[in-house]
Parts: sequence; structure tokens; C-alpha cells
Amino acid sequence: MAEPILKVEDLSVDYEVGAGTFHALQDVSFEMKPGRVAGIVGETGCGKSTLAHAIPRLLPEPPARIRRGKIWFRGIDLLALPKWKLPLVRGTAVSMIFQEPINSLNPAYRVYDQLVEAVRIRKMRETGRSPVLFTETKPHDYSQTPSPKASEVLRRPLAPTLPLGRMRRLVGFSRETFRSDVLEYLRLVRINDPETILNLYPHELSGGMRQRIMIAMALSEKPSLLIADEPTSALDITIQAQVLTLMKELMEEVRTSILFISHDLGVIAEMADDVGVMYAGHLVEFGPVDEVYSSPRHPYTKALLRSVPKQYKDDGPLPSLPGSVPNLSALPAGCTFHPRCPLAQPVCTREPGPPLERAKVAQSPEHKAACYFSEEVESLT
Amino acid sequence: MTDAIVEVRDAYKHFPVTQSFFNAVKRISKEVIHAVDGVSIDIREKETLGLIGESGSGKTTLGWLVARLHNLTRGTIRLDGKDITTLEGSGLRAIRRKVQVVFQDPVGSLDPRLRVWQIVGEPARAQGPVSRAELRSRVAELLPTVGLPGGSLDQYPHEFSGGGRQRLSLARALIVHPKLIVLDEPTSALDVAVQAQILNRLVTLQREMGLSYLMITHNVAAVRYVADRVAVMYLGKLAEVGNVRDVLEHPVHPYTKALLAALPKPEPGRRSARYRIAGEIPTLIHPPPGCRFAARCPFVIPRCIEEEPPLRRLPGLAERLVACHRAEEIGDVPPEDLIAAEATASPVSSQPG
Repeated sequence: MAEPILKVEDLSVDYEVGAGTFHALQDVSFEMKPGRVAGIVGETGCGKSTLAHAIPRLLPEPPARIRRGKIWFRGIDLLALPKWKLPLVRGTAVSMIFQEPINSLNPAYRVYDQLVEAVRIRKMRETGRSPVLFTETKPHDYSQTPSPKASEVLRRPLAPTLPLGRMRRLVGFSRETFRSDVLEYLRLVRINDPETILNLYPHELSGGMRQRIMIAMALSEKPSLLIADEPTSALDITIQAQVLTLMKELMEEVRTSILFISHDLGVIAEMADDVGVMYAGHLVEFGPVDEVYSSPRHPYTKALLRSVPKQYKDDGPLPSLPGSVPNLSALPAGCTFHPRCPLAQPVCTREPGPPLERAKVAQSPEHKAACYFSEEVESLT
Repeated sequence: MTDAIVEVRDAYKHFPVTQSFFNAVKRISKEVIHAVDGVSIDIREKETLGLIGESGSGKTTLGWLVARLHNLTRGTIRLDGKDITTLEGSGLRAIRRKVQVVFQDPVGSLDPRLRVWQIVGEPARAQGPVSRAELRSRVAELLPTVGLPGGSLDQYPHEFSGGGRQRLSLARALIVHPKLIVLDEPTSALDVAVQAQILNRLVTLQREMGLSYLMITHNVAAVRYVADRVAVMYLGKLAEVGNVRDVLEHPVHPYTKALLAALPKPEPGRRSARYRIAGEIPTLIHPPPGCRFAARCPFVIPRCIEEEPPLRRLPGLAERLVACHRAEEIGDVPPEDLIAAEATASPVSSQPG
């Protein structure tokens, strides 16, 4: 079996703010296999964005605090990396696409200038002018030694910031090479008229076009992991379908693994191979998407899937989950879902929350659920 | 139609675009955004008309026109048989009693410095003097009908969750006992589980109070559940109108098909599906002369580019209006045909931006 490209172990993140401590993530553990797409789905405030930002260490600390856990990425524990080494991970090995492309693009830069930055960094890396964290192409087998020779690789200092002209000369590439590289990326994301687009500012582009630029930027470094945090939520339905189609095609061309965060069960079904369902900071279910959708093993997953309206008014009321998501600073004792759960028993309030473990009656060994009564979920109506 | 509560006839709304400082100073404005461009539609009593379309299609503008939050550029709107197109002052205030709006943004549409009873009671106060005690008791009576505890009169909006705030907006609309509520994206800021609660509440309220809704949304799943009839809008014009079940299960207009094909369905196994409608919504400043969907339409013929298709009744389909020259020929093409399996589509070249 292929080694996981990403392995998150017991990741717990708190936000410490004036109003108290919010437990945004609690003991989240999962694995991602290379070349697969893992989707994370959940409602607002369930911690899915915190998870996305925690992996490339983008959480602002404080107020965020990583209480415990490990994030193994290609054999390196990202949480143990010193701060100055993080730029070697971010953007190069782990790339990210955010929800609002207008907020991620610099409004004062033309498309060309935004993209060329990524190309320049990659050229520096490829020509050995800037340090590299991952040299080998295949993921490291971290079960043998916890950390590879990252420390040795990293001994070379980061490239000093140089004025544009000098940097270009230093790297030994001309303006034309950079330009043709940028054009190539724009064509990669199916932009029809890249020569014109190059000279436009972000506000002159449509939402779909901006998100394509973001994708081009994220993929330009050929990352082994792409984190997409609600990449299509701000787009219209037909534009969303176009961007999703583009991502599916690129996935096969670029051969990257994607961690796809969304609140939309439909988008996850279209994109993901594996899906994780989050509720109030806990990963309550994880498994192959077909199996999780067809036979969920956690009552929350089941309720979530059933609340998508599929019926007409005269077919009767929509099945809906009563109550609302608990406050992350005052989580209920025991299983966090028990106040809304139709299967709740005394044990669910008494015992600490059930761990995410192999679901009792699941077909696939990969299918895990955090519920004491996972075998009874099927019988719920 | 005799049982229509609102009749919109040939409504136009153009917003002027000021292009430069010079033109702004000299009040020259030659270009206009054709937000709503010749729309005629009825809203019947006790029914929900769903208005779906993407951003920039003019659906919110049309909703605001019906509530008279915008003035029409051209056309007429009748409410209960009475022309309300040019009403002002007390006449306009009188129709506010009949038509209320629930706005999209549940945070921005509630004053953060007012308490619940003040927010919910405001439309009633605007209609005439009400004592504080009476207003409080009316609000307290109303809150349970939208699923909020009656004791939350003195809370502030920030103490409510997104769903709670949307219930407050709904209560504010209900306090004057309107006949029609314009729901502008009522659930787009909400999660699926909360959305289901709100949609159920909307349907129950409609049955109990005999309300009509104009529900503006891009969420087809929500329209499916709440609406009786549905109107599909594209670039300021209606593309297709019909009964919700018929339109969603048997769409005729290519844009309706494209919209339905683009919906991500919560069923795995569509990984190979490739969406085939290219292009984006063109600008509303210079709308194309022919059919507005022609530039993206997979069934386009030369006639579509030259001649604008009128919204016409289709023989054989009850209550269906479609604006497409080729409606008879392409009516039976299922929306799934606009999605190609991987094998048939050449992935790199067939998808221009």
C-alpha cells in the first residue's frame, strides 16, 4: 500500500480569545494517500477551515494555539519545523487555494506580476539557488525514521531578497523565459486569451477567471499537496461546474493530492475519493466517499445527507436536524453530538467522546466513525 | 389570470453607468445596465414563485421592483389589480403593508443597536402609532411562529445564530400581516441543516397564513422544495417559466438545462463527469441582440444570434413559457447530455475559458 502523503495525528487547536477558549479542533486524525482527493465537509464553525490552515501552519498564533498533535507531510512533522523553514513548505510542497480569489490576489499587481513571482521562486529552487526541503520524489517512509535529512537539506540559508533585475540575472533566465512560463500556466487553466489577461488587474477579471489564476499560481510549483478551502463557494453554479471540471482534469495532469474543503455535499461527492465529516471540531466520520454517502456510520452524517432538499412541497416536510451547532467554548460533555442525536444513550453523555475507529459493520477497512452505536445508524429513518 | 396578486407587465429597469469624472460632473450617462429587460410575470395568490438565476441575471432587481424598492424605468406593476407603478408617499406606505421583504444578508439587514422587539416591530410602527406595550406583546406573540422563544424580546441581533437572524427577518416581515413576501436568497447564508429548518418553517407559515412568496435564489434545491412555479432568469430576461416539478424534471430552455446539469449532486460516482457549457455571463451594458444565451448555448443556430426569441407558450406542455427558437426540437434533450463522460470529451482543447 502506498505511503500516505499526509498524516494528521491527534491534532487539537484552540483559539484563545477574550470570551474564552474555543476548541476548534479536537484530536483530529486522518491519512491521505498520494494521488487521491480527500474531502472535508461540515457546517460553518465545525473547524474545517482551521484544519486547512493548520497544515501549512497558516494559523495566526496567537489567538490560535496548537495544543497537541502531529502533521506528518512526506515524512516531516510540519509542526516541529522552525518558522524560518516554513516558506520551503508553503507554496512549493503544499499549495493553497482560498475561497475568495479577490482577497488572495494583490489588487495593485497585474496578473503577470502575480504569477511570475511563483515562476521565479521555482526557477531559483530548480537551479539550486534556494534551499529545497524535499529532494526525493517519492514520499518518505516515516515509519522507519521519524525525520529524514531535512536538517541537512535545510542548512543552506534562504535566498536573500534581491531587487528584481539582479535576481533575474542571478537566476540566469531572461524576461522571455519567465513570460513564456507564465503563459503556459495560463493555458494550463484553459484561459483563452492569455496574452491579454497578463496585463489585467484582478478587479478587471470575473470571479471564475480569478479562481483560475489562483489555481494556476497554486499549481505552478507542482505541489505534492494542494489544499482547496471552499474554492468554488463564491462562484455561480455554471462557473462552479466549469472550475470543478478544470480541477478534475488538472488533477490527472499534474498528479497532485488535494485536500478539498467544502460545506457542499454535492461538490464533495463530485470531487473527492475519500471524505471526512466534521462536527464541532471533531472528525466524526472518514472513509471512501461512495461508502460514506451510501451507508453513513455516524448519525450526524446521516442527518446532514438527509437535509439536502430533494423533494417537492407536496411530498411532505423536509427531514431536518433539530437544534443548532454547539458553542465551541462550551461543548457538551461526552459525545459532542449527543444533544441532537436520535441514537443518544446514557453512555454518550457519561463517557468521553467516542474515538474515530473502524466502523463496526463497514465494508471497507478504511471506513471509520466516531460513534458507539455506528451499527445502528442504518436503521435511522 | 384572475387570481394573480401581482402582475408585472413588460418591466424594464436600467441603471445608468457613469463612466468618468467628466461625464459624472456633466451628468452625461449614455450607457445603462439592462438589469431587467422586458419581464412579464404573475404571482398568484397563496403560491410561491421561485426566481432562479445566477448573479447578474437581474433576479434581485426584479424582486425589488415588485416590492417597489426600485422604481421602474418602463412597464407596469399591479398589486391586487391596482397599479402601483408610480405610487409615492402614503400610497406607497399602504402597499408596504401588503408586500414585505426578507433580505439576503441576515447580519447587514438587522440594526445591531436595536433590540429584537424594536427590529421586529419597526414595520408596524411605520404603519401608524402603536404603544410600546402593544408592540412588545405583538412581537412576543409572533416570535414563536417563526420558531424563536417569546422571551428573547430584549436581546440584540448578535446574540442569534445565522438561522436565528433569518427567523428575525422573517418575523419582521410577518408583523404587518402581508400578502406577499419577497424572499431574497433567504437561505444562501445558512448551512444545510439550518436551511432545512427555515424552508420547513416557510412552507408551514404559507399554509397557515395564506401567504404568497416570491423566492429569489440561485439554490435550485431550495426552490424545488418551496416553490409551486419557477421562473428562470438569464441576463435580465425570463428564459423559462412553468410548474416547478415540470421545469426541474423536464427543462426545455438550454439555459435551464445548463443550470441543472451544473448542479453538484450529493451522489458519488460523478467523478468522470465533465461540464460542457463554456463561457461566462456577458455584461449587461451591451446585451447581445439575439438570444442572450446564444454565446454559450450548445444548440445555437444563426437565427438565435439575429433574432430575439419571444417568451411563448409551448403546445403540449401545461403552463410552460419558453424563450427559445428551437424549443420544440431540443425540448427532449436531457440536461445530462450537457455533461460529458471523460471518454467523449477531449479534456484540453474543448474547454475554453
